[in-house]
Amino acid sequence: MGKVMIINASPRAPKSNSKQYAQLFSQYCHWDTEYFEVKKSNHLTLCQMIGNYSDIVFVFPLYADSIPVTLLNFLKTLEENVPCEKPTISVVINCGFIEPYQNDIAVKMLQLFAGKNGYPFGSVFKIGSGEAILTTPFRIFLKVKMKKFADSIEKQRYNSFQVTMPIPKKMFIKASTVYWENYGKKNGISKEQMQTMQIE
Amino acid sequence: MNLVLSDRTLDSFNQQHPTVQWIDLSRLNIANCVGCFGCWTKTPGKCVIRDDAVKVYPQIAASDRILYVSKIKYGGYDTVMKTMLERSIPVQQAFIRLLHGETHHVQRKVVPKAAVIIGYGDISPEEQELFCALVERNAKNMSFESYRIIFVAENEVEAAVSKEVAAWEK
Repeated sequence: MGKVMIINASPRAPKSNSKQYAQLFSQYCHWDTEYFEVKKSNHLTLCQMIGNYSDIVFVFPLYADSIPVTLLNFLKTLEENVPCEKPTISVVINCGFIEPYQNDIAVKMLQLFAGKNGYPFGSVFKIGSGEAILTTPFRIFLKVKMKKFADSIEKQRYNSFQVTMPIPKKMFIKASTVYWENYGKKNGISKEQMQTMQIE
Repeated sequence: MNLVLSDRTLDSFNQQHPTVQWIDLSRLNIANCVGCFGCWTKTPGKCVIRDDAVKVYPQIAASDRILYVSKIKYGGYDTVMKTMLERSIPVQQAFIRLLHGETHHVQRKVVPKAAVIIGYGDISPEEQELFCALVERNAKNMSFESYRIIFVAENEVEAAVSKEVAAWEK
């Protein structure tokens, strides 16, 4: 039986969707899981603990088409602080776009890191429409795939999974527009104000 | 506007380049994006972190020719450049549009640009391939009308930058 270290590398980890995805993973994984968030001050502590786990699951959002700098900096520290045992690295990544494949570059960056530093690479779960899917009835699809992702790690039958809202893109754009309009309203900002073309 | 955005000091800019604006990110104080969505939903177009980044992203948006100079790490931009790129999201709106059949954020007043990216370091062929794929994606989100990628060793950066800037100044 393995032991999984879940590392949330979202820049807003305590309030992130990644945290909710991590919780879902814990719920479906039958192995012991422990959850951590990457902070500027805890890189070394996390690196020292990594050797105690059979698996790492990195959970993070897509940022500017690739891995967030929070994760990049952590990987650089990990490269310099090699654990005694190297766990298998798996990935849960989410982006706000409907196409899960927009996450592919970030996944490949993790694979490149793993290959270069001798970590076995495990499973991948790519989430599209990740900003909102948890608040819609489509979260059931996400849960089903998350369970499969967790199973694949436990059985060491590594695979790639993906999920998104099963709606046409034009409908997704309308839904996301409403989502963001409501987000602005909570801050007292109108759609027109959010649409300003002015920068600074 | 012609802009050079570099993650390191460039000796090439010890002399005057009146038609080129150079920003040395390594000398600026730029914090990580905290993913608060403030620049989309609280103060649209403005980052809530008022450090040096707020002087940089308006210039990126206003440039029609831009030269990025960045060390490459794991097939992507290394920390200095990546931090700035993440802090540049005020140039986009929260709202999503279709672009070439894919969903992407609507841009604010961002000038379409010709971009050159000089990626430097000890870069494996696998990393080069990944970086090219990354820039192809960036092109859609950073308003590149065209782009070229040049990979060089660290000691070749100055020469590569000088060559590109000289071509602009012709």
